[in-house]
Amino acid sequence: MAAADSPSAALRRDLCSRGIRLAGKMRADVADLLDAYVEQQGLDPSASVAAMDGVPLAAVERWDEQTGTQRLLENLAAYRAFRALLAQMLEEQREQLGEADAGLGRALAAVLLQVSAFAYHLEELLRLESRGIPGEEEEEEEDGPPPLPRLSLFEQKLRGLGVLRELAQWALRSVRDLRQLAKPSPAPGTAPGLADSP
Amino acid sequence: DSHVQYERVGADVTMKCGSMDWDAAVTWTANGTDIDESHLNGSYLILKNVDLSQSGQYSCYEGSSWHLKYQTYLRVGTPPKEPVLMCRSNNYPKGFYCSWHLPTPTYIPNSFNISVIHGTKDMVCEKDAIPKNRCHIRYLQLFSTVKYKVTLTVTNPLGKNFTTLTFDEFAIVKPDPPESVVAKPVPNNPRRLEVSWQNPSSWPDPESFPLKFFLRYRPLILDQWQHVELSDGTSHTITDAYAGKEYIIQVAAKDNDIGTWSDWSVAVHATPWTEEPKHLTTEAQIAETTSASTSSFMAPPTTKICDKGAVVGSGAMAVCWTAGLVMAAYSVLFI
Repeated sequence: MAAADSPSAALRRDLCSRGIRLAGKMRADVADLLDAYVEQQGLDPSASVAAMDGVPLAAVERWDEQTGTQRLLENLAAYRAFRALLAQMLEEQREQLGEADAGLGRALAAVLLQVSAFAYHLEELLRLESRGIPGEEEEEEEDGPPPLPRLSLFEQKLRGLGVLRELAQWALRSVRDLRQLAKPSPAPGTAPGLADSP
Repeated sequence: DSHVQYERVGADVTMKCGSMDWDAAVTWTANGTDIDESHLNGSYLILKNVDLSQSGQYSCYEGSSWHLKYQTYLRVGTPPKEPVLMCRSNNYPKGFYCSWHLPTPTYIPNSFNISVIHGTKDMVCEKDAIPKNRCHIRYLQLFSTVKYKVTLTVTNPLGKNFTTLTFDEFAIVKPDPPESVVAKPVPNNPRRLEVSWQNPSSWPDPESFPLKFFLRYRPLILDQWQHVELSDGTSHTITDAYAGKEYIIQVAAKDNDIGTWSDWSVAVHATPWTEEPKHLTTEAQIAETTSASTSSFMAPPTTKICDKGAVVGSGAMAVCWTAGLVMAAYSVLFI
């Protein structure tokens, strides 16, 4: 297929492949972090956590009907949100435990770094398709990002559990999304991966 | 007046003859055979500690007229034990199915009701025509962290029971085994076997949801399996097979990212390529090719039938001898 052999198609496939590896590594690290977090925080691993404001849900209906642009934009919005949430978790962790649990703090920081890197990778993919990269809401505020609600210690722990669970699912979803994006396009202008319509 | 009556195994059963008085003269039959009066208390039929063999049609007749006064079908059985429920997705991301059975039979009709809840949402599990103890659900959402809760209730006239399964969307993903597994020898390679297979036909989108595979193989004469995990492709060449030994080979599949391994595929057998055995030249054929003259005897050139290093089939003895020895013996005879 001519479209599959074009330089931009090859670059897209390359970016998608690297993104899949990034997401796969991130997923594995989040899984380990989740186990450590549950143990350190004394939580029940089977506890159900209600959806919380500000935590992007990975669950999606009609996933197979999404366009490539939708996939990239939703992924980018999610990982930007996780970047802020993980940064707050890290801050709360340091406030609560200081140096008492440096291991958990280091693991959180490592995942935060991966989330930031993945968000940047998604921006690269959007740039490749000459799509405008949406500005982050926090940057548009003159006074900085709005403060997240102050929660009790227990609520913080539960929210942390919810954040990590959703992040794990997002990492899995991102692998699947990027595989869809990496599929060769049948013809220019009708790319199922990145067309605006399904 | 005919109806069905369900009783537990071991119960004591009393049957009244319809509206007949206790002291009326009646005859009871079981499946057409008269019941001995020792089982009667007046016109009541008493069955103590009933067992399964006592299921059947019981009829009560008025003594003199033989009018049928009452008839019932007695079904002896048990209330249901906790059912066994299993849910699995072999066609991810389309949906999943649940199937169930009772650990022990009840010997009477049972009805099953299944409910599926995802978060706060009730979902409909559509029952399959065949088999009857199965239903399937389409995933409305993917990548959800909310668990599914499936409750199966079994009810029969003697009681009810239920069981509940709670699981994540990704935890129940288990593909069907790979299909069309083929193993072939590789020409001129006595230690190789080429194995190929196909994705299970029930897996709807292997391109977007690729499978990885696990291959196991062993010679029939050994118990220990060799294992190879393959992250892509649907073929593999075994390169360390024992020459000439028949192998048994199986493959399993798993989604690349979630769930559990499938059952093993149907086993295939194959033997690596072996060289064709060379023909052995017989003593008679050697004698025919040499000169038969006694006056001008010339010793024939020495002919080795085989080299030491040659292998002539497996199990065959390699025989090396020099034709000159034989001819020398003949020469002695004619001198």
